[in-house]
Amino acid sequence: MLESRELTKKFGAKTAVDRVSLKLEAGHIYAMLGPNGSGKTTWMKMAAGLIKPTAGDVLFAGSPVGIASRRDVAYMSTEPYFYLWMTVEDAGKYYADFFEDFSMERFLSMLRSMDLNEKDKIKNLSSGMVAKMKIALTLARDAKVYMLDEPFNGIDLLARDEIRTAILHAAVPEKLLLLSSHLVEEMEAIADRAIFIRMGKLIEVRDLEEMRETDGVSMADRYRAIFGHGEVQA
Amino acid sequence: MLRLLKYELRKTLFAKLVLLGITFVAEAVFLAGFWGNRENTLLIGAALLFFIALIGIALMGILSLMTLHRDMNTRQGYMLFMTPNSCYRILGAKVIECGISLLLAGAFFFALGLLDFSLLLGKDSNRQIWDMFTQIIHAVNEQVVLDTPHISALIFSMLAAWLCTVTTAYLSDVVSSSLLNGQKANWIITFLLFLVLNYAISKLLTLVPASLGTITVLLLQGVVSLVLAGIMYVITARLMDKYLSV
Amino acid sequence: MDYDPMSPIWLQVVNRIKGSIATGAIGPGEKLPGGRDMAVQFSINPNTAARVYQELERAGLCETRRGMGTYVTGDAARIAQLRTQMAADAAGRYLRDLRILGLSRADAIRLLSEKEENENA
Repeated sequence: MLESRELTKKFGAKTAVDRVSLKLEAGHIYAMLGPNGSGKTTWMKMAAGLIKPTAGDVLFAGSPVGIASRRDVAYMSTEPYFYLWMTVEDAGKYYADFFEDFSMERFLSMLRSMDLNEKDKIKNLSSGMVAKMKIALTLARDAKVYMLDEPFNGIDLLARDEIRTAILHAAVPEKLLLLSSHLVEEMEAIADRAIFIRMGKLIEVRDLEEMRETDGVSMADRYRAIFGHGEVQA
Repeated sequence: MLRLLKYELRKTLFAKLVLLGITFVAEAVFLAGFWGNRENTLLIGAALLFFIALIGIALMGILSLMTLHRDMNTRQGYMLFMTPNSCYRILGAKVIECGISLLLAGAFFFALGLLDFSLLLGKDSNRQIWDMFTQIIHAVNEQVVLDTPHISALIFSMLAAWLCTVTTAYLSDVVSSSLLNGQKANWIITFLLFLVLNYAISKLLTLVPASLGTITVLLLQGVVSLVLAGIMYVITARLMDKYLSV
Repeated sequence: MDYDPMSPIWLQVVNRIKGSIATGAIGPGEKLPGGRDMAVQFSINPNTAARVYQELERAGLCETRRGMGTYVTGDAARIAQLRTQMAADAAGRYLRDLRILGLSRADAIRLLSEKEENENA
């Protein structure tokens, strides 16, 4: 459903994403893992059509991503990006104005389950509340692909459960979810595949239950093995 | 497109309301002087209004450019570029917003000026101003022809020139934003580029020989401006798309 | 929901549900949550939830009725068998633990009855 081929992005002399070829299928929740600066965000932004690749390409349903794919690929950036004058409700209206698949009803019901008030000004919200609102905005779309960059960042324990629940509600067989996080434990049970990226390069994609069954290791173990100070175990 | 336009207008709403507020303060000063028969207050009010009108109309263009700059250089740009809208539409909405704001501001200050002026003329003591005014009109009329074809050509050429200026400014900003993405002082480059481009365009327009007659010159200059605006519009949108990095 | 991330999560959920069926917390013939609801309820991936149902069905502990959902088996004998099996597993674990500590089968039985008397006292 979403595929990158030899995808590369350079910022000046720095290579953020280095010839990453990756094929993501519907019906799965992928966890994209790697320390900060490993290229997760850059990969996602290219898949969202927000950054142009230096080389290679990203395909959504077989065609290069661009303006049309933004209708079907819902991307949640890790940084806040809303206009300063907006209330939570205004942000919902904005999404409703530009995304045909956005449901105001679903948005409001998610806000309520997350204890957010739609009349609040976004600039007055705590970072955790903004994070929850962003999740609600993104998941209130009926997109084919959801890419959430650091959905658990800056969010307290209780809200993490709410976000996990919201993500699981959105995960139906015909959809593809991609979550990035450096909070590996949060995604252990909800993801079924893990993508490990180090310094812009793809290390491997693993099926998590298979990995637990055959190797007896968790996603966090594998993460430590790859990114820890020790050597990479085959 | 309408939805994009709506949000473009909304982005500068606050600054425009502030301008409106300041205008009303100046108007209040003017009216206080007028009704209180205090000439000094009246003159201060009138001078303020004149000054605000000049600044205000220029401000419409500056605000639009500032919005573009912010959309190109800060995370706020996600709001635009994550939506399924092409750069042509996004830029188009911005140009139209700038036009609407400018026309509205122009109409507003013109109407206000007319209102205040007629107030002044309503007073018998100000009869002399009216006489002076009509004399000026006559004098101007003797110098240049002010008939419908001339006025139409002038308006056409002014609108084209305006469009050309706006697209020049947008192009300058998008060039500096894509080359120096996110750098703090890249608006200086925008400004310098704008001056250079503007100078080049004005030089180009003077190439139209004056011997062709006023109307032809105005029309030709208008057409050249429109063509240039079109070219710059396409280049700007393409640059936006190609170097998009928000 | 806490899981041991080193062993398959589907297996852990299957064991939890088996426990609920054996103790009667989920009664015979009772309807189980749909795949998505189970995923949310147990906070697990939907594919893991699907695997859970697959395993429970394979073990003859539940059955999917087309268009109706998944139900715990009404077969009392199967549930009794599950209970026996789980009890046997628990006994096995107990014995294994004591053997590691170097205790004999007789010690194990004696300890068990002593413990029970203490608790009843």
